Amino acid sequence: MNAVYLLLVVLIPPLAGAVVAFAPWRRRAHWMCFLELAVILNSVLVWLLLFNRPADTLTLIHFTGELSIAFRLDGLGTVFAGLVSFLWPFATLYAFEYMTKEKHERVFFFFYTLTYGVTLAIALSDNILTMYCFYEMLTLATVPLVMHTLSREAILASRKYLYYSIGGAAFAFIGMIFVITYGDTTEFLLGGVLNMSKVGENRDILQFIYFLTFLGFGVKAAVCPFNSWLPKAGVAPTPVTALLHAVAVVKSGAFAILRVTYYSFGTDFLRGSFAQNAVMAIVMFTIVYGCSMAVKETHLKRRLAYSTISNLSYILFGAALMTPFGLVGALSHMVFHALMKITSFFCAGAIIHQTERIYVHQLDGLAKKMPKIFGIFTVSALALMGVPGLCGFISKFYLASAAIESGNVLSYFGIGCLLISALLTAIYMLSIVVRAYFPTGEFREETLEGISDPNWMMLLPLIVFVIFIVGFGLFCAPLISFFGDIAGV
Amino acid sequence: MEEKMNFILLVPILFPVIAGVFLLWKREFQKRRSLLIFVGAVLLLTGAFAAVGILGGERRFTAFYLTEELPVFFKLDELGRLFASLVTVVWILAGFFSFAYMKKEKREKRYFGFYLITFGVLLGLDFAGNLITMYLFYEFMTLASLPLVLHSQTGEARMAGLKYLFYSFCGAYLALFGVYFLVRMGNTIEFTPGGVFESSFLLEHQTLFLVITMLLVLGFGVKAGMFPLHAWLTAAHPVAPGPASGVLSGIIVKGGVLALIRVLYYLIGPDFLIGTKVQKAWIVLTLITIFMGSMLAFREPVLKKRLAYSTVSQVSYILFGLAVCERTAFEGALLHVIAHAFIKVCLFLCAGAMIYQTGCKRVEELRGIGKRMPVTLWCYTIASLGLIGIPPTSGFVSKWYLGTGALDGKMPVFSWLGPLVLIVSALLTAGYLLPVTMRGFFPGEGFACRREKEARLMTAPLIIFAALTLFIGIFPETALTVIRAISGVCI
Repeated sequence: MNAVYLLLVVLIPPLAGAVVAFAPWRRRAHWMCFLELAVILNSVLVWLLLFNRPADTLTLIHFTGELSIAFRLDGLGTVFAGLVSFLWPFATLYAFEYMTKEKHERVFFFFYTLTYGVTLAIALSDNILTMYCFYEMLTLATVPLVMHTLSREAILASRKYLYYSIGGAAFAFIGMIFVITYGDTTEFLLGGVLNMSKVGENRDILQFIYFLTFLGFGVKAAVCPFNSWLPKAGVAPTPVTALLHAVAVVKSGAFAILRVTYYSFGTDFLRGSFAQNAVMAIVMFTIVYGCSMAVKETHLKRRLAYSTISNLSYILFGAALMTPFGLVGALSHMVFHALMKITSFFCAGAIIHQTERIYVHQLDGLAKKMPKIFGIFTVSALALMGVPGLCGFISKFYLASAAIESGNVLSYFGIGCLLISALLTAIYMLSIVVRAYFPTGEFREETLEGISDPNWMMLLPLIVFVIFIVGFGLFCAPLISFFGDIAGV
Repeated sequence: MEEKMNFILLVPILFPVIAGVFLLWKREFQKRRSLLIFVGAVLLLTGAFAAVGILGGERRFTAFYLTEELPVFFKLDELGRLFASLVTVVWILAGFFSFAYMKKEKREKRYFGFYLITFGVLLGLDFAGNLITMYLFYEFMTLASLPLVLHSQTGEARMAGLKYLFYSFCGAYLALFGVYFLVRMGNTIEFTPGGVFESSFLLEHQTLFLVITMLLVLGFGVKAGMFPLHAWLTAAHPVAPGPASGVLSGIIVKGGVLALIRVLYYLIGPDFLIGTKVQKAWIVLTLITIFMGSMLAFREPVLKKRLAYSTVSQVSYILFGLAVCERTAFEGALLHVIAHAFIKVCLFLCAGAMIYQTGCKRVEELRGIGKRMPVTLWCYTIASLGLIGIPPTSGFVSKWYLGTGALDGKMPVFSWLGPLVLIVSALLTAGYLLPVTMRGFFPGEGFACRREKEARLMTAPLIIFAALTLFIGIFPETALTVIRAISGVCI
């Protein structure tokens, strides 16, 4: 297909969002249908593009010399764009139902859809400058979503989110400058673009700069110690928490790290350096830290947010291995975690929507009243733990295999961290499940009068996701071999 | 023709699982009777399907591929046959016992649903032909049996259930660390008697393999109630309904044993283990567990908890036999798997029958129980004698093999220390099991009680288990021929 379509898919969502926000609509159902159709159309276009990948680059603006804003679709971009465009229509559908209880809906949906376009732009970026620009824009587009309820808590949370993200981007900016200076080109090429003759004596400095870049992009991927914005941002409406803070925004951080690691600095340059060890140590710590905090947390959405922190670091662990197999592991966990976490968040959202219960200890016996939601939640919990037969097992298996393959002794400890985290995941997820299904003697069923499963707009996305969780868990050979092709295994 | 029939291995696995899920999903039955007929029919049919599989020839079946490297593959070898027949017999009999026992409990439908699912999962574990398939069913075994523990929904049951869950997953993940390495480093993950690694390769990576062997032992040892991760067992088994505690203690702990045999004797190879520090550490752990379990059982006043401590001790007899890595001891271990399964299920069912009839849970309350429920107490007594190891019961034969095997082993200290601990523990076993019999039949002066009617559905399984204990004790060759076929290829 023509490369112009790349621009089109980035532009349709913000335009459609603007129409929803500013056109005079008579009825809610009308703009809902319009927006849903626009989002579906866009996703269909993206998937058409993925299957007929345009070979050439679309340069929008040419600043000077190497610097330009340009789009191109390569392997890594395919995965991220495919993931985002698959989830967005479902999430929009879910959001329609969820937002009935909130105000300022149309403004909300403007920013919600705008984010879709920006995230796609990150996925389709041809060079580091383009990615950086849209990365900053992503922060700005999502701040209003966090702030949505305009409560004091929400404003504080969004301010924190803003400061953290902008600060992180500043570090990433330093990295970008160095890549532009020492690289042959600013484009993303598998294996890296650094020119060794230019680097010469400055290896150590560049490795240190990589470390800074990692931390910078790592802010969005919630690497410890820059993670505290994520649980705070849980005050946002659940569709935001689910799609943005479990998939789009945080995965953009992870995606950017994969880009700079494998496509800019290059793994050959980094492997075995102190930067790799430092990065891996941080990631391993975050994996265990996130899970431990999740066990401690009793607020359901915040618990899931901590779980996200830990799982994002699984992806970064794959990045930190700096081998092709590591990239396969990272990509598979990126996709599978997105599915699992959006499912569990949507379940949490459905519980909040139907019962207004937000703490774990309020969930006693609810499974009887909301059997579908809790059935789905159980599947996502088991998948997150990595029970074989569900997709979480596959990605953990590939991460662990990659760690063994790399022969790096530190990474053996990383496997240990993965497994500790799996145990903690079992604790914080299954204690919810057991509570909901097996209430103890003091529990009175009358307190749950009038509670039921939500309607189809909430259930349909969940059912689709669960089918994919199980489907990929049982049969994902083609997907893994596709990731293998991307990583050049 | 034979080739095409291989999918038959899947039938006994899937059939009870589907039936169980159907039962959970379905609304309450109008009559209790129809529920029982449904469950009974499923149990018997599954038994028949399993028998067709077990009695047939060598079967291999690849169901599908998780990914290219990870096939879900079933294979029926001698070891699988042994465990599968054990599971089938015990599950059906304990199921019929449940029909009578569960009359007094609530939420029967859920209980039977998960009971059936667990049956299928256990058969899957036994039929698993490679590491990943086994691991898959191993985790499902934990999950499917959890509702049995949680059944009564008291605060105590929930704590015990969570403890069971977290200990089991802790073990599973310890083992998973080893599983990752075995999958990545071996040429194949299919179970092959004697191991799949070249000895030179093992020596090259000796430290690594010692570490992962230790982790596998500790991890799968959790399910088998091995010290130091045994605490869940004595919490979880007693809170379940009587027949469920029976199958948990008699069969599900053997899942850990099976997994250990599979990874040590069918993947890593026993030769690697002999003389290493890991072997010594493992033997020390099993001996500690044997002694400690018996001691704790000795001072425990609640009958079902006492039996649970006894399980801790007895399963480590089996692990001790495996750890010695010697043929006779290995045979003794497998024999003890059979003996202990029948005996422990029998004992727990007896305890369940007593609770059902009298409501007495503590040992001192059971005075005169032999006058009230003679059949139950007779079965209890025979099973007790088996567990102590008095001829002519199955426990005697298995302990004989374990003891002589340990003496034949070439380990400096353990060759005499091991049998000594076994004998001391046997003494303690007599001490904690027989008082029930003595007080039951001889309540002492001035104790009047009448014989009560014992439900036939309850006594029949008890009698069968007691008879099996005696039968294997008198004709051990029947079991030993099968066991020799296994040990012949493994060691």
